[in-house]
Amino acid sequence: MTERLTRKRSRHVALVLAGTATLALAACEDDRMDAQSFPDLESCIAASKQETLWFTEEDCRKNFAAAEQEFLETAPRYESKELCEQQHGAGNCGNDPVAQSSGGGFSFMPLLVGYMMGSMMSRGGGIFSQPMVKTADGRFSTPKGDQSFASNRGAGKVPSSTFQRAPSTIGKPPMTAAQVSQRGGFGASATARSGSRSSFGG
Amino acid sequence: MEKRTLPERPGWRDEAEKLGFTFADMGGEPYWDETSAYRFTLREIEEDIEAPATELHALCREAVDRAVQDEFWLTRLDIPRQHWDLIAASWARSEPELYGRMDLAYDGKGPAKLLEYNADTPTSLYESASFQWLWFEQQQAAGVLDPDADQFNSIHEAIVARWTQICADGEDVHFAADPDNPEDYATVETLAWAAREAGLGAHFTPLAQIGVTDEGQFADDQSRVIGTLFKLYPWEDMLRDEFATHLQSSGTRFIEPPWKAILSNKGLLPLLWQMFPGHPNLLPAFFLADVQEALSGGTPAPEVADAFGAARDLLSQGYVTKPIFSREGAGVVLHENGSELARTPDDSYSHHPMIVQGLARLPDFGGFHPVLGAWIVGESCCGLGLREDRPLITHNLSRFKPHFIEG
Repeated sequence: MTERLTRKRSRHVALVLAGTATLALAACEDDRMDAQSFPDLESCIAASKQETLWFTEEDCRKNFAAAEQEFLETAPRYESKELCEQQHGAGNCGNDPVAQSSGGGFSFMPLLVGYMMGSMMSRGGGIFSQPMVKTADGRFSTPKGDQSFASNRGAGKVPSSTFQRAPSTIGKPPMTAAQVSQRGGFGASATARSGSRSSFGG
Repeated sequence: MEKRTLPERPGWRDEAEKLGFTFADMGGEPYWDETSAYRFTLREIEEDIEAPATELHALCREAVDRAVQDEFWLTRLDIPRQHWDLIAASWARSEPELYGRMDLAYDGKGPAKLLEYNADTPTSLYESASFQWLWFEQQQAAGVLDPDADQFNSIHEAIVARWTQICADGEDVHFAADPDNPEDYATVETLAWAAREAGLGAHFTPLAQIGVTDEGQFADDQSRVIGTLFKLYPWEDMLRDEFATHLQSSGTRFIEPPWKAILSNKGLLPLLWQMFPGHPNLLPAFFLADVQEALSGGTPAPEVADAFGAARDLLSQGYVTKPIFSREGAGVVLHENGSELARTPDDSYSHHPMIVQGLARLPDFGGFHPVLGAWIVGESCCGLGLREDRPLITHNLSRFKPHFIEG
């Protein structure tokens, strides 16, 4: 059977053929952005003095503060220090400062070992940051953990998805059992008159 | 573009049932209808639908960029003030979009015109991505369709690829919808299968069973914390429900992201027309409050006077009014040459602010009027689903029609 050079349809779909397709998706070149990582605020400020770079001392301070906050909100949390060290290496974990004050069950998290800043200036997006933690094999990653880097000092191009926020872990990580105090707060469909619609979609 | 009568596949109803496509007939009327199909040329697909729809999505992103920074537009779009930050922050962080469906008027001759963009909770995904695909493969194998024929439908593969792009490997994603609505549920299940194929953990929870934990996070029907939530539930309702106060503090990542509240709002249409007046794929559009008097000979609001003047002739031939929030054709009224041509009986949304849009008359194919649904996954158009109806306003009992590419 002959086939068009540009096929416009899927080779398989769900619910019909039980095939497992493995789709490796390489980031497009134009999706990559300038990024630089630092072990601490001071090294960022020092680097910002070089005029050729895309960030200022002010950017360092603002983004380090944002990374620290995001670290508290999204870094993985563990029930025990052993479990944490399995994922992040011996000596790379500490107490969860948030859980200390609220008394939650997941009170260990990896240490903040640096942060990465990325520029979306060329697309009008500003500067973004992500905190960095260690991985079990001695590398560095963002809390989302889908990409790791050899070092926490260096510059290069990374996919913009590196700067997407990880799911929140403050309180409890996703999929853990939690005490639910209230249900039914979604679904009242306030913009339509009650009882008049069957579907939430369209 | 033409409509071609074709033999139905023998036994397709049994197969539909076996696959769980339980709403192939609705209310005693056929919903899936393969007694005929629409045929497009490759040029029509690529130049008239695919490229314009991808471009329109890019224009929509520019419109979001404008609106999130502008109190005037956020007010006009009726977005509650206490959630402006949520929406602006989701845009500033570049939270990625998953999917949407543009409804286009197209007759194979002039340019496709954007009727509206269901960028938040589009349904009919299963029939577009899967059942339509099966129809094509089986009809081609049976010799009903030419061996060289094709279909504009890489929707499933595009969604799988998009999931791998926007989520971490193994990330747990909750899918919330109304389980009692088979159409909604089928759309969510289609997305969840694609998520599993992309290596994600997919978990369903009935929308009304979502709870708030003692720590202010959202939890599913089994009290497990929700990290990432796909919701087949409109943002305009999310922002007004009782749990709206927890949206930001929950730390939940939402798909579609909050900034989609701007695109799924029909106030987008006047915003697009103001930013890109005369664009070949857009129809003139205004807020009704600005032009109500002008439509019957009076004067428009000063800030739209020039734009209205330029569109006056077109609008005098015909226009549509519709509420900024509405689904499945509810509250739409068609006017032509000064008189009312059609309206939908459902006016449950008509207490919202209204917009006026130039009338793009849908083509007539054997007494039926097709509307094209151009599927956007990520930022690109990747497939097509058609629905047709006898009345001029497509609503939720319209028929889904398969399509193919030949020539």
